[in-house]
Amino acid sequence: MMNRLIFILAFVWATLTVAAQVNVSGVIVEEGSNEPLTGASVILRNAEGKIKKYATSDVKGRFSISTPEIKGYTLDVSMMSFAKQTVKLDSVQLPVKIIMEASATMLKEVAVKADRIREQGDTITYTVGSFAQAQDRSIGDVLKRMPGIDVSNAGKIQYQGEDINKFYIEGSDLLGGKYGIATNGINHDDVGAVEVMENHQPMQVLSGISFSDKAAINLKLKNKAKATWTFHGDAGGGYSWQPDGAVWDGELFAMAVMPGFQNITTLKTNNIGEDLSASATDFFASSRATGLSRYVSVSLPGVPNLSRKRTLFNHSALVSTNSLWKVKNGEFKAQIDYSFNRVTAQAANITTYFLESGDRVITENRDGRDRSHSLSGKFIYEVNQKTTFINNTLSTNIDWDDVRLGVTGSLPNDQSAKLPDYYVANKFKMIKRFNGKHLVTFQSNNEWESLPQTLNVSLDGSTLSQHIGDHAFYTHESAAYAFSIKGVTVSLEGGVKGYLRSLNTELPDMPEEIPGETENVLNTNYFTVYATPKFEYWVKRVNFTLNAPVSFAHYTFDKAIANRSEVYFSPSLSMNWKPNNRFSMTLRGGTGRSPMNLNMIQPGYIMTNYRTFKQGVDDFYNSTSQNISASFAYKHTRRGVFANAMVMQSWSHLPYTMAQQLYGDYIVYSYTDAKSEGQNLMAMGSVGKTLDFMRGSANVNGSFNRGESHLFSENNAVNSVSLGWSVGAKINGTPMKWLSFDYRIDFSKSQLRMNGVKNSWLCDMENSLLINIMPHSKWEWRIMGEHYRNELTSGTYKNVFLLDTKLVYKLNKRIELSAMLNNIFNQRTYNYTTYSQLSSFESQRWLRGRELLFTISLRK
Amino acid sequence: MKKLLTLTAMCLVAIASVAQEKADILVSYECVSPNKMMKPVTSRMSLLASTTKAKWFNDLSLWVDSLKSTPEGKAQYMEILKKSCMTVEPDGSTTWDLSKGPSKKVYTYVFTNLADNGVTLYGKFGEDQGFYTEPIDEMNWTIVEDSTTTILGYECIMAKSDYHGRQWKAWFTPEIPIPFGPWKLRGLPGLILKADADGGFSFVATGLERTDRIITPLYLQEDYSKVDRLKALDNAEYYMNNEENIMNAQGQSVKIYMLDDNGNKIEVPKYDGLKHSIEPDYKIKNE
Repeated sequence: MMNRLIFILAFVWATLTVAAQVNVSGVIVEEGSNEPLTGASVILRNAEGKIKKYATSDVKGRFSISTPEIKGYTLDVSMMSFAKQTVKLDSVQLPVKIIMEASATMLKEVAVKADRIREQGDTITYTVGSFAQAQDRSIGDVLKRMPGIDVSNAGKIQYQGEDINKFYIEGSDLLGGKYGIATNGINHDDVGAVEVMENHQPMQVLSGISFSDKAAINLKLKNKAKATWTFHGDAGGGYSWQPDGAVWDGELFAMAVMPGFQNITTLKTNNIGEDLSASATDFFASSRATGLSRYVSVSLPGVPNLSRKRTLFNHSALVSTNSLWKVKNGEFKAQIDYSFNRVTAQAANITTYFLESGDRVITENRDGRDRSHSLSGKFIYEVNQKTTFINNTLSTNIDWDDVRLGVTGSLPNDQSAKLPDYYVANKFKMIKRFNGKHLVTFQSNNEWESLPQTLNVSLDGSTLSQHIGDHAFYTHESAAYAFSIKGVTVSLEGGVKGYLRSLNTELPDMPEEIPGETENVLNTNYFTVYATPKFEYWVKRVNFTLNAPVSFAHYTFDKAIANRSEVYFSPSLSMNWKPNNRFSMTLRGGTGRSPMNLNMIQPGYIMTNYRTFKQGVDDFYNSTSQNISASFAYKHTRRGVFANAMVMQSWSHLPYTMAQQLYGDYIVYSYTDAKSEGQNLMAMGSVGKTLDFMRGSANVNGSFNRGESHLFSENNAVNSVSLGWSVGAKINGTPMKWLSFDYRIDFSKSQLRMNGVKNSWLCDMENSLLINIMPHSKWEWRIMGEHYRNELTSGTYKNVFLLDTKLVYKLNKRIELSAMLNNIFNQRTYNYTTYSQLSSFESQRWLRGRELLFTISLRK
Repeated sequence: MKKLLTLTAMCLVAIASVAQEKADILVSYECVSPNKMMKPVTSRMSLLASTTKAKWFNDLSLWVDSLKSTPEGKAQYMEILKKSCMTVEPDGSTTWDLSKGPSKKVYTYVFTNLADNGVTLYGKFGEDQGFYTEPIDEMNWTIVEDSTTTILGYECIMAKSDYHGRQWKAWFTPEIPIPFGPWKLRGLPGLILKADADGGFSFVATGLERTDRIITPLYLQEDYSKVDRLKALDNAEYYMNNEENIMNAQGQSVKIYMLDDNGNKIEVPKYDGLKHSIEPDYKIKNE
C-alpha cells in the first residue's frame, strides 16, 4: 500500500514536472515572401536578460527549445541582413511565427589583415590598406609610411636609399619617369598592394646577363579600379588674408587600366602655394647631351628654411595626359604635358652701418614676378621581349620663362629676363639576343637645343641689354656586342659622337668700372670615337662589374682658341654582394680624366644679373677626379625592419680656380690659372620599422656632409670648408580607433670655415605634427602644427609657429566636403635682424596669410 | 555499389558547386598551437561565413590550391615557384629554397553546412590527404554568462565545452548571429571570436569585414579520401614518429634532424598527441 502510494506520488510529481517543461517552438520566415529562414539564431533569455538556452532554425525555418519556465522570458531572434526581433513569451501563443524584416546588419568592421609586408623571392609586397591613415589621399602619402620606401614632395621614390628604375601600374610602364603624376594622383583606396621588385632589370633581353642593383615599383590595383575608368576630383574655393583675395584649388584625375590600354589624365590648378611645375618632372631623364645651361640668373627672393607651401605666391595650372596602347608585341605610349606657373615674391632688406659720421642706412625692396610655361610631348614605341628589345623615343620640350625683378631703395633697378628653351630629341635603341648568351645592341641618339637668353637691366635711367644665342646639336651612334659564359659577361661598345655648338653673346653698353670684352662669337665642336669594354662576373652571390671606357676626342673652336686632340680613360669598378635575401652591400670606385664643361669657354663678359658679370676661360682644360663609395642595405620583412647606409668620398683636381672680384658695386666672376683641389665626403643612413600595434611606422635618419673647395676672392686664395649634419625622425600611427597622427622632427647643424677661421655652428629645427580625430565615421577633424626654429647668428633664434585645421564630412563613399583654415594666427611676415660689429641687417619676407578654403571632393 | 556511391558523391559535389552561396563576413584569426619543442607557433587562418555555411581556410593554401586546380594555373604556379625559389648559380646549376616562395604549409580546410548538419574537415594525415564529417550538434556548450570580454569591439560571452579530449573555452558575440567559429568550433548563438583550450591551443579574431565573396567548394576534392578521424590521427602520429624509417623503407636514404637555437643538429623530439594534438581523444581511447 505504502509502496503504491509512493509510486503514485512519484508518478504525479513526474507528471507535474513534465507538464512544467515548456516547449518553446516556432518557425521563422521572411517578411513578404513567407519563405522559411535557415540559420537564424534564437536565444532564450530570462527576466534578467541572461541567456538560458539557444537554438538555430533548421532548413524549414523551425526551432524548438524546451525550458522549465517561461515567465518573463524573452526570445531574441537574429540573423545577418535582418532586423533583430525580440518576442515576450508571456504575450504570445506557442508555437510562435516570427517574421523577419530585411535590414542591414551593421558590423563594426576591423580590416582583415593580410601580412603588412610579404616577401617572395626578390619581390616585397606592402599591403596598402595596412599602412594608410585616415588623412591620406594619394598613394604617395601611403608610400611615405612604408619602411624602406622614401617619397620626395614631387613624388620621386627611393627604395633603401636608391632611386627606383621603373614605376609600373599593373605591370605596364605608362608614365616612364613622370610617375610623380601617379604617386600624387592615384587614390590610395584604388591600390591593393605595392610591390617592390629588387634587382630589377627592366630590359628582359638583359635578364640573367646584366645585373641591376636598382629596384622597381609596381602598383597592384584593386579589382574595382581595373578594366574601367576611375575618376576623382576636387573643387575648392575660399578667401585668403594675404594675398588678399579669392583662392582656389582644383584637381581632376582620370585613370583607365584596361588590358590593352592605359591612360592617366590630370588637370590641376591652384593659387594656394602648391607648386605644380614639379608634378610632371621626368625622374629618369638623363641630363641633356646638348649640355647647354643658362648664363642669366635672375631669381626671386625666397624665404629661408620655411616650407615652400607657406611662402609661395602662385597661380599654377597643369594638364597632363598619358596613354599606352598595347600593339601586337609592343607598346606605344604618348605623353603630353603643359604647365603654367606664375610666381610673385617680395623682400625688403635694411642694412644699417654704424659710422662715426652718423648711421648710414641702405634699403632695398625687391619685388619680382616669374611667369613660365612649359609644353612637352613624348612618343615612345617599345618592344620588350626575351630576345628583342626595341625602343624609340621622340621627345620635344618648349619652355618659356619670363622673369621680372624690380629693386627699389638705395640701388634702384629693374631687371627683366626672357629665357625660352627649345629642345627636340630622338633616341633609338635596339638589343637582340642570340643563342641565349649573345647580345647585339644598336643605338642612335640625336638631340638639338636652342637656349636664347635676354636680360634687360634699367639702372639710373640707363638700360643694359644682354643678348645670348646658344645652340647645340649632338649625335651619338653606337653598336655593342656582349656574350656571357660561365657567369662572365663581356661586352664591348663602340661608337662615335659629334657635337656642334655656337655661342653668340653681346652686351652693347658696359659699366665703365669693368675692363674687358663684352662679346663672344664662338663655336665649340667636337668629334669623339670611343670604345667601352665592360666585364661582369658572377660568383657565389657576388657581382663584379668593370667598366673601362677609352675615347679619342678632337675639339675645334673655329680659331677662337687652338684646336685640341685628347685621349680619355675613366675606369670604374663596382662590386655587389648579396649573401642572403636580407643583406646587400655595394662597393664602387672610379677614376678618370674628363674634358671641362664647354660652357666655361667664354672670353668675353656676360651679365648674369644686375650686379654680377661672368667671364669664362680662354683656353681648353681637362680635369681629373676620383670617387669611392660603399653602401649597404638590410631588411627583415616579417619584422618590418629596413635599414640602409651609404658613404661616399670624391676628389676633383681642376687646373683652374674661380675668382671673385669687386668693381664698385659689381661682382665679377672669372677663372684664373691656378690649380684647385676639391673634395667631398658624404654619409647618410636610415632605419625604418613598422609599428603593428598601432598600424603605423617609424623612421630615423641621419646624414653628414663635408665639402672643401677653393676660390680666389679679391686676389686672396680662400679655402672654404662646409660642414653639415642632420638627424630626423618621423612616426605615424592609429593608436586608437578614432585617432591617427603624423609627427616629424628634423634637426640640422652647419658650419662654414674659411682659411681655417671657423664660423659658429648654426642649427635649424623643424617640428610638424598632424592629429586626425574621427569622432564618427562621417566626420574627421584635423589639426596641423608646424614649428620652425632657425638660428640666424650664433645664439639668435627665429621661431615661427603655424597652425592649420581642417574639418571633413564624408557625405557618402563618393562625396566628401571639407573646410580648411590655414595659418590660423595669420602670421604674415618672416622678419629677422642680425647684428655684426659695424652693421645691422634687417630683412622682411612675406608668408601666406590666413586662408579659408571650402572643398568638395568627388570620386567614381 | 562502390561505383554508385562515388557517382552519387560526385553528383552531390557537382550540385554543391552549382549552388554557389555568397558569404556575409570574412574573419581572420590568429591561431596558436605548440610545436614539437612545445614552443608556440602562430599561423593565420580565415573564416568565410554566411548564416548557413562556413569555410575555414588558409589564404595562401587556398590560393595555391585554386591555381593548381587547372592545368594553366598549375603551370603558372610552377613558374612563380621557380621565380621565387630557384637561384641559378653562375655555373648554370640551380638551387631551390622553398621557404622563399609561396608554398602551401597549412592543409586544413573545414566546411560547415547547416543544411546537411555536417562539419567536414579536409586535411593531411601523415602522408595521406583525407576528410571526415561529424554532426554539427556534437558540441555541448555551457554558457558562463558572467564572464565576458571585448574582442574587436564586440562584447563576447564565454561558453565552455569538452571536445575531442580538450576543454575549450569560447567567447562568442550574439551581435553577429552566425553559429560558426574558428576551426571546427561551432554551435553557439553568435560568432566565436576567441577560443582557447588546455595545452596552449588558441584562436583570436584579428579582423572582421563584410564581404560578398562566394563560399567556393574545395579545390582538388578528388585528392582526398574518406577517413575515420581517430584512426587517421593515430596513423598520422605513427607517421610523424617514424618518418625517417618510412622514407628509408621506400628506398630513399635520409636522415631527419632539427636545428636548435644555436644551429646544432639535434634529434627530432617525439610527437605525442596528448601534448601536440588539438584532438588528443584518439590517444585517450586507445589507452
